[in-house]
Amino acid sequence: MNSILLLMGLLVLAYLGSFLVAGRGVPGVGLPSGIEYVALGFVIGPQALDLVGTDILASFEPVVYVALGWLAFAVGLDFGFSGDKRVSTASLVLGTLSALTTGAAVAAAAWFAMVRLHVAATPTDRILLAGGVGAACSETTRHAVRWVVDRHIADGPLAERLDEVAHTDDFFPLLAVAALFALEPTRHVIVRMPLRDWPAITIGLGLLLGGGAALLVRSELRLDDTWGVLFGVTLIAIGTSARLGLSTLTATFFVGIAVSLLSRHRRELRAMVSPTERPVLLPALLLAGARIDLHMSPALAWIAAAAIGARLASKVVVGWMLAVSSRSARSAGPFVGLSLLSSGGLAVCIGLVFALRFPGFVGDTVLTIAVLAATVGEFIGPARLRRALRAAGEIREPGDGRATAGGVAA
Amino acid sequence: MTAAVAAARKGIGTRLAHGILLLAFVGLLLFVTRRVPEVHGGLWTITAIGFLLLAGTLTSELIEPLGLPHLTGYLIAGIASGPHVLRLVDEQTVKSLSPVNMLALSLIALAGGAELDLATIRKGTKSLVWATIVQCVLVLALMSGLFFAAKPLIPFTRSLGPGALLGVALLWGALAVTRSPSATLGILSQTRAEGPLANFTLAFVMASDVAVVVLVATAMAIARPLIDPAATFTFDAFVTLGHSLFGSVALGTTLGLFIATYLKLVNRQMLVVLLILGFGASTVLDYLQFDALLTFMVAGFIVRNMSNQGHKFLSYIGQTGTVVYVVFFATAGADLDVPLLRGLWPVALILAGARSLVTWGGSLVSTRLANDPPVLRRWSWSGLVSQAGLALGLSTIVAREFPGIGTPFRALAVATVAVNEMLGPVLFKLALDRAGETRRREAVSLASIRPPPP
Repeated sequence: MNSILLLMGLLVLAYLGSFLVAGRGVPGVGLPSGIEYVALGFVIGPQALDLVGTDILASFEPVVYVALGWLAFAVGLDFGFSGDKRVSTASLVLGTLSALTTGAAVAAAAWFAMVRLHVAATPTDRILLAGGVGAACSETTRHAVRWVVDRHIADGPLAERLDEVAHTDDFFPLLAVAALFALEPTRHVIVRMPLRDWPAITIGLGLLLGGGAALLVRSELRLDDTWGVLFGVTLIAIGTSARLGLSTLTATFFVGIAVSLLSRHRRELRAMVSPTERPVLLPALLLAGARIDLHMSPALAWIAAAAIGARLASKVVVGWMLAVSSRSARSAGPFVGLSLLSSGGLAVCIGLVFALRFPGFVGDTVLTIAVLAATVGEFIGPARLRRALRAAGEIREPGDGRATAGGVAA
Repeated sequence: MTAAVAAARKGIGTRLAHGILLLAFVGLLLFVTRRVPEVHGGLWTITAIGFLLLAGTLTSELIEPLGLPHLTGYLIAGIASGPHVLRLVDEQTVKSLSPVNMLALSLIALAGGAELDLATIRKGTKSLVWATIVQCVLVLALMSGLFFAAKPLIPFTRSLGPGALLGVALLWGALAVTRSPSATLGILSQTRAEGPLANFTLAFVMASDVAVVVLVATAMAIARPLIDPAATFTFDAFVTLGHSLFGSVALGTTLGLFIATYLKLVNRQMLVVLLILGFGASTVLDYLQFDALLTFMVAGFIVRNMSNQGHKFLSYIGQTGTVVYVVFFATAGADLDVPLLRGLWPVALILAGARSLVTWGGSLVSTRLANDPPVLRRWSWSGLVSQAGLALGLSTIVAREFPGIGTPFRALAVATVAVNEMLGPVLFKLALDRAGETRRREAVSLASIRPPPP
């Protein structure tokens, strides 16, 4: 397959994705993680049918960077909000704690697995790999709750709380990515400074560019000028951060946060940007799938098992935290935390950005484990969520007057 | 709040803030490009697009109080950030932007075709026919003559004999007939102008694309034996041209019918569809060697006039508006060979000035013959001065077909087109303002966007 055909294929996929904007075009259609597109990518990639070769994948790296940056920008713009409603402080704290707990547990599990298996890697590589896996496995996809709510017409405090937690747990993993990238600054960067300054520069760059964009959008630009400003600033953030060896995801995430905080047109900007999220995500997932190499290391299976096991355990702990703060969560049972097991878009994006920045064992392992964790989450998360919502009385059974709309794929 | 009101409210403080922000962005990119070498290959192309978009938008805002068109701002931003001034965008990056440029051109041509209303064209047929005949004949004849006479000023012609010089002059004359559909549409898109001058200019410039392609092919066929005595007059070029024109119209019609059907049956995600069509069709057209501008223009024309989906289509195309024009013209600015212009500017200025004068004289004659209204008699020439991609594309073909004079000929063409590219949009915007045709339609502002239903 040549690059033009792949480009056309990606555009067609983006077109299809635009019909699957969660909760609107075709409500509840597609898996919440979008993992089916990763699988499709794997099938056409070099490890399976080899329709998309390694060289073509390499030529698409700039496109992948743009897709990832734009998605992180959209996540930043939406951060702290569920729909048009600002999330509660309790949910914000809980979401951050949830990501921190899960990320730390997964990173620790991956680290110990590497130590036990005597994986031949430098200490920096081990930190990068463990940290990367932790960051990629710590989030819950924002579409998960919406997906179940749409399918089952659920409504209530637990659905709302879980939705808010899923909307607020992206902060920690993206911060972690910035810190991890600082561990191995690109060798060509002439500017020398302490490692701890690089994450601050990433965040500062994002906030400055986002602040500039917010200032520009303030002055009632024409709609198409506004697109120009948003595209322009995001592309500059992507290019400069990549050139400096910083995390493009973190920089553009903070561009989104700054625009959201500083612009009085936040609602309108979200209305503009959110429909683009799915069309951009699906091609990125496909390209991520094509990069997966399951045979890259014999230790992969064990590291993945340890990471995913730790993720399951930590989500149970997160459920207990949830139960402490919410009565409806207590009524949903002790395993309510497993409702937050669905990961997807952002997790795979983090994996992909690691694969691009640290090609080889570290990057490929992080990407593969991110995808495997999303796959496991897909089998457990939506089913547990449905069960929790039913236990909390937020999904009415057919006899109650509101019919449930079909089964869950998991 | 409408864009017009918003524009009026933009005070000096806002523009100052825009200027400071622009300087900040320039500073950031200067720091990055000077201190960190590029290792990601294509990634800086992405940054370049982002910077050109932003710098173009901001520069156009900054020069707005001077009455200059936004296109001029985009060009200035491109020149300033290009490889010959600040070097934020290097030559390699400019080259790698060509697929994006092709996409922009396809969207511009689609918009151009869709703006052409058959009923309006029918009403102005007499004006268009007279203008096309007079402008083609007069510009071709007088510019060829001037080029012939300007031999002492043009170094590469000094060694040519009278026959060869006549051949080269003929090629120059044909090149001078070209106009710039993209510049015309860019100005109309910014000013939202409506009226006889806007309608006439759009229809003339779009229709002249076909006339020019035929004219250049004819000039090349005649010039070949004059420049190279060993060559003979051949109709081969016309066969290729016929194939290209017929194929472009056929493909454009098919594309137009497809778009109209899609709009009628699906009518969703048109921007993604346009991207797919833009990239896909451009690749096919490149392979078939059809005229992309003509193909997309015909497609837009078909949607507008052979279906009832025209207004829907125009509204979708309008959404791509500024982004497309900024990318296209800022890239054109970055591609401008400033050192070449510096070396050739006196001759380029003479040739460009003479072309503008001949165009003005031609419009006096044609509007009188067609008995046009006063606004056309006075201003119809102003939209015909701009030259851009089409002229450059044809000069490249001439350079390839006539290697003996190719390089200096193209250099002079690039310098002259650069002058017309900078001057033309300013003149056209001024004319539209004076004719009272600008700002009759309001642009969509950000505040008008409503969140999608939950």
